[in-house]
Amino acid sequence: MQLTPEQYTQLENAAYHIRRLSVEMITYGKWGHIGGSFSMAELLAVLYFHHMTLDPARPLWEQRDRLILSKAHGSPALYAALALRGYYPEEEVYTYCELGGLEGHTDMTRTPGLEASGGPLGMGLSVSVGIALGLRYREEARPRVFCILGDGECNEGNVWEAAMSAAHYHLDNLIAVVDYNKVMAKGFTWQLMSIEPFADKWRAFGWDVIEIDGHDVEEVTTALYQARWVLPRGRPIVIIAHTVKGKGVEMAEFNYQWHTHAPDPDTADDMLRELARRYGQPINGYSRLAQQGHKERFYGGE
Amino acid sequence: MAENNGAGKIPEMRDAFGSALIELGREHANMIVLDADLHTSSKSGMFKKAFPDRFIQVGIAEQNLFGIAAGLALTGFIPFPSTFAVFATRRALDQIAISICYPKLNVKIPGSYVGIPTSRAGASHNCIEDIAVMRSLPHMRVADPGDNADLRAVMQAAVATDGPIYFRVTRLTLPTLFGADHTFEWGKGVVLREGGDVTLFGTGMMTARCMDAADLLRQDGIDAEVIHLASIKPIDADLIAESVHKTGCAVTAENASILGGFGSAVAEVLGERCPVPLRRIGVRDRWIDSGGIPELLEHHGMTPRDIADAARDAMRARAELRARTGKVAP
Repeated sequence: MQLTPEQYTQLENAAYHIRRLSVEMITYGKWGHIGGSFSMAELLAVLYFHHMTLDPARPLWEQRDRLILSKAHGSPALYAALALRGYYPEEEVYTYCELGGLEGHTDMTRTPGLEASGGPLGMGLSVSVGIALGLRYREEARPRVFCILGDGECNEGNVWEAAMSAAHYHLDNLIAVVDYNKVMAKGFTWQLMSIEPFADKWRAFGWDVIEIDGHDVEEVTTALYQARWVLPRGRPIVIIAHTVKGKGVEMAEFNYQWHTHAPDPDTADDMLRELARRYGQPINGYSRLAQQGHKERFYGGE
Repeated sequence: MAENNGAGKIPEMRDAFGSALIELGREHANMIVLDADLHTSSKSGMFKKAFPDRFIQVGIAEQNLFGIAAGLALTGFIPFPSTFAVFATRRALDQIAISICYPKLNVKIPGSYVGIPTSRAGASHNCIEDIAVMRSLPHMRVADPGDNADLRAVMQAAVATDGPIYFRVTRLTLPTLFGADHTFEWGKGVVLREGGDVTLFGTGMMTARCMDAADLLRQDGIDAEVIHLASIKPIDADLIAESVHKTGCAVTAENASILGGFGSAVAEVLGERCPVPLRRIGVRDRWIDSGGIPELLEHHGMTPRDIADAARDAMRARAELRARTGKVAP
C-alpha cells in the first residue's frame, strides 16, 4: 500500500518522537528499556497514527481496535505513542517510574489507552486471545486485536499455548506482531535460545505469516492492510517484523547492554542529538528540555 | 464424622459446584466457564451441558486458561476458569497475579480438588498451598466454603462482587452445616456453636470436623465455641478477637498447609490484637502422598480427635500462662 509523501513523513516523525520521548522518560525515570522501545517505534507509529481505529477521547469505546503489549518492558515507546496520539498530555511521560506516575511495566488501571497489564513475558497473547473471543461473543465484527510480542519472549511456552488456541478457535480478528529485534536481555536470541525456523513454527501452529522489515513504515502499513483486509478469513495472522534492537542510536543497536539501562544525562543528550540528526529533526537535544524547564530535573537530583 | 440425616443423599461438593454454576449461568448471561480438560472431574461440564455456547475448552494449557479468562473479563464477561487447584496455584500463578489480579479483573477462580480428598493422586495433585499463595496476592479474595449451601452462597457473592476471587471446592461429600437460605458475606464468620472454654476456628471441610471435635470435648465437660470462617480474605478479625477474648485459647483447622494458610491468617489476627495460645490443625510442611482419605486424615493429624487434643493442649497452655502471669483475661 502506497503512502502519500505527507503520510510517510507523518509516520516517520511519529517514530522519531516515540524514540525521543522514550529516551527522555527513561533518563528521567532512571530505569527502562531503550533497546526494545526503539525497535518497535515504526510498528507503534503505523498502528497508532495510521492503521488502528481509535478515539483517544473515549479510551473504552467498544468499536476501538485493541493493542496489547505483551513485551510490556517496551512501555516507554507505548506511553510515548499514547501521549502523542492524545490520550494524555505529553508532560505525563516524565512521571515514568515515579511513585504514582507511569508504571515501569504496564498497569491498565492507571493509564488510559492501555488494554491490559503486563510485565512477565509470554502472557499477552493469551489475554489477546481472550479479548478476541470476547469480541466474537459480542458479535463485534469490526475491531481487531493486535498483540505485540518480542522474539525473546517466544521462548515462553505460554506463547505457543495461546498460538495453538487462536488457530483452534479460528480467531481471524487477532493479529500478532512480533518485534523480531534479534536480541534478548543478555545476548543474541540465536545464541541464548534460538527460535528459528520462526515463520515455520507459526505456520505449523495454523497461522498465516507475513514477514517484513519492521523499520519501513511503508512495509508495516502494507502488512497491516493485508492482514486486515486481504488474507483469507478463518485464521489468525502473525506479522514477523524484522527489526534492530536499539534502532536509532548506534551505541544501542543490536547491543544487549541497552536492554535495561538508563542513560546518564550526557549520554541521553548524545542520543537525542543523534536521533535528531538521523531523522532530520531540529537538533536541540538537551536545550529543548532546558527550554521546557526540565533542566534541573534532567541533570540534578538523586 | 458425625452422622448426618440423609447423608447418602448429599451431593458431592463438586456436583454442588456444577449445579451452582448452572444456576448462576441462568441469572448472568455474561458468565462464561472455561476448562482445561477436566470438566467431567471438576463438574464444570454440567455448565457445558446447560450452556454449550458459553463454555470454552482450552485443552491442557493452564497458563493460557487464565490469560484467556483475563481477556474475556476485559470484554465484559464474568469468566470462571476452572481447573484443579494445584494447576491454578502452581502452574499459572504468574498469569493469575499479573494478567488478572494486578488489574483487578472480574475473574472467579474455582480451585477444584483441594487438599486431602484428592487422596490417591498423590503429592503432585493434592493442593495444600493455595490458601497461602492466593491470599498473598493484592486484590484477591479467598474463600473456603464448609458445605454445599455455603459453596452456593460463596459463588453468588463471588459474582456479586467485582474483582478477582479464588474459592475452594473439594471433591468430598461434606455434612450439611447450613440451610438452603444460608447467605455468605465477605469478611464475616459464623458462630456455629457457642462455648466459653476454647474456640475452634474452622474453614472449608474442616469446620464440620471442628463440630465433631466439639462433641468429643463436650464428653469431657469442655464447652468449645465453633466458628466457621469461609471468608479467609478478608477475614473476620473482630469475631476472632471477640471469641478468644472470651475463651483465651484457640485451635484452627484447615484442609491445607498450615504454613501461610488459614491458621496463619488467624494467627496474624491473634498476634496483632489479642495473643492467646493457639494450635493449628492442617498439613504440617509435608507433601500429601497417595492414600485413602480416612488414612490420610489420620496420618496428617486432621481427625476430630486431633482437633480435640489440640484444644486440650491449647487450654493447658492457657492455664500455664495464667498461672505464670496471674492474669485471667487473655
